[in-house]
Amino acid sequence: MGSFEVSQLSKRYGAGPPVLQDVSFRYEGAGAIGYLGPNGAGKTTTLKLLVGLLRPTEGHAYLNGVEATVDRKNALWDVGALIETPEPYPTLNVHESLDVVGRARGLPRDEIDREVDRCHALLDLPPLGQRIGWLSKGQRQRVSLAASLMGDPPVLLLDEPTSGLDPAERVLVRRTLNGLKRDHLILMSSHQMFEVAEVCDQVIFVHQGRVLLQDRVDRLAERIRSRQVDVEFEGPVPVDAMQFLREISTEVVAVSDRRWRITFDGTDAARVQLLQACQKIGPVFQFANSSLSLEEAYLELIPKVPEDS
Amino acid sequence: MRASAGGSPAGPETRSGVPRHRTSDLEHFWIITAHQLGHYLRTNRFYGLLGFVSLISALTLASQVDAGVATIQLQQLYRSSEYLSNFLVYTGLWVVLAAAFFGGDALSVDFSTGAGYYMLVLPVRRPVLLAGRYAAATLVTLAIVGTSYAFATAGAIYFFGAEQIPWSLLGGSLGIAIVYSLAAVSVAFCISAFVRTPAAGVLITVLALYVGFTTLQSVVELANIEPWFSLSYAGGAMAAILDTDFLHIQTIPLGQQQYYTIWVATVAEGLEIMAAYVAVFLPLSAYLYQRAESTG
Repeated sequence: MGSFEVSQLSKRYGAGPPVLQDVSFRYEGAGAIGYLGPNGAGKTTTLKLLVGLLRPTEGHAYLNGVEATVDRKNALWDVGALIETPEPYPTLNVHESLDVVGRARGLPRDEIDREVDRCHALLDLPPLGQRIGWLSKGQRQRVSLAASLMGDPPVLLLDEPTSGLDPAERVLVRRTLNGLKRDHLILMSSHQMFEVAEVCDQVIFVHQGRVLLQDRVDRLAERIRSRQVDVEFEGPVPVDAMQFLREISTEVVAVSDRRWRITFDGTDAARVQLLQACQKIGPVFQFANSSLSLEEAYLELIPKVPEDS
Repeated sequence: MRASAGGSPAGPETRSGVPRHRTSDLEHFWIITAHQLGHYLRTNRFYGLLGFVSLISALTLASQVDAGVATIQLQQLYRSSEYLSNFLVYTGLWVVLAAAFFGGDALSVDFSTGAGYYMLVLPVRRPVLLAGRYAAATLVTLAIVGTSYAFATAGAIYFFGAEQIPWSLLGGSLGIAIVYSLAAVSVAFCISAFVRTPAAGVLITVLALYVGFTTLQSVVELANIEPWFSLSYAGGAMAAILDTDFLHIQTIPLGQQQYYTIWVATVAEGLEIMAAYVAVFLPLSAYLYQRAESTG
């Protein structure tokens, strides 16, 4: 099983503002971690620092305990990486492009063909004799993803792995990643929230070069102050009775005659006021934060950081 | 923090327990060389340059055949070495063009296109990656140069007979061409490590190695200074070794007690200059390549 770790990692280009500031996280074992944030948040920069395509201004990045900037060969030995838009040489065919990866990763010749066949089956690759230069963007992306899987490395670093793929191809890649995460450690950056929700068990939110939050996907609702609560009364409540809550909430929506969704400013004081007000309306059966989707969590979290901070 | 598994729909079986062995740097070198060579040999630039050199060489040979054996023998003072020396006078240009085409973008391609995101994430040390590409670029350059030598040899056999060919000198000339190719590709790699765009690397290499050095050489010769620093000057040794009337220094009177001096590199001097270029520019390329970052 593999691991990756970044420790107080910072990156700055020249005298410009830092693109990554004091980022730390460590994962080991198996599973999929979503690395989320808006454009320019520092996601790709982090991945590049991990594989040694960039040198850190401060801090360290380790793959299986080894820094790629210090010992590239050993750091990348058990790592498959898909970063930005890789371009195998357009003059070579699919098999040749995967063959060089397999041989560089120490696969015996007969195993290379088996690995190519395995990747071909997993990702529905184009014909192996077809030149890279003749492939569509999606086909090239799948070949690059297959290259990262050659030799079955236990750690996978995937930067927008479904970028440029059509819906059917995205489903194929998500299925593959779901299978891989059982015995691989995957760090996957993406803008596609539903994709991360489907594949990843844990997430890291990054914004303006800083980690805002990292936790299990199913614990996000507890960690992020929700601005919505769901109230369920023991019996039906008329609409008029709920008007009473308007002063301390921004929106009151009926989910059913017993169940209401209330949006408020998210403060603890308002939450207490809301509960007390609801208890005055009638016996409260349940009072809880609304369930939070990954997308809602993202939207809740990201705007909280001022642009100039 | 430990990542957890489970909780998501199971995908296809992916684990294959693939056996692997620790690839040595030398194995990586051969892998990268073969991969790069496979790429170069299918590029349009390879076919274009090979076709161009073949065309020029064939036209030269055809015009000589048309002139007749007797005329060519007379022109070349009945010496096959003289013929070979004159035929190979453009070899320096072919080396420069090939070095620029195959070395001028060999490193910049990793930082200006997505090629780097494919190759630089492999568990291969960058100096080994550079060495493999360097070997491939040099081999392709030699394939181009070898074509010129093949035509020259064919012509010499046609006009003078195989028994008249100074094989040892011809082999020596080819050996110098190999060292010259190594030096020119070293310079091209270094330029490629400096610039960010492949086209600029190719153009600057041609300008520096051919136009730049040739111009500078002429300027310093006007000042009666030997152009010992010039790689193109060193390249003259490829033809000089075959020249039976070789003169290291020629002084041409211009009148009014003014003289213009022309230097031609001796074999030893040429090899020293070429070796110095390799010794300086190849390590510098490796250093720059090692330090380069994928910021795009």
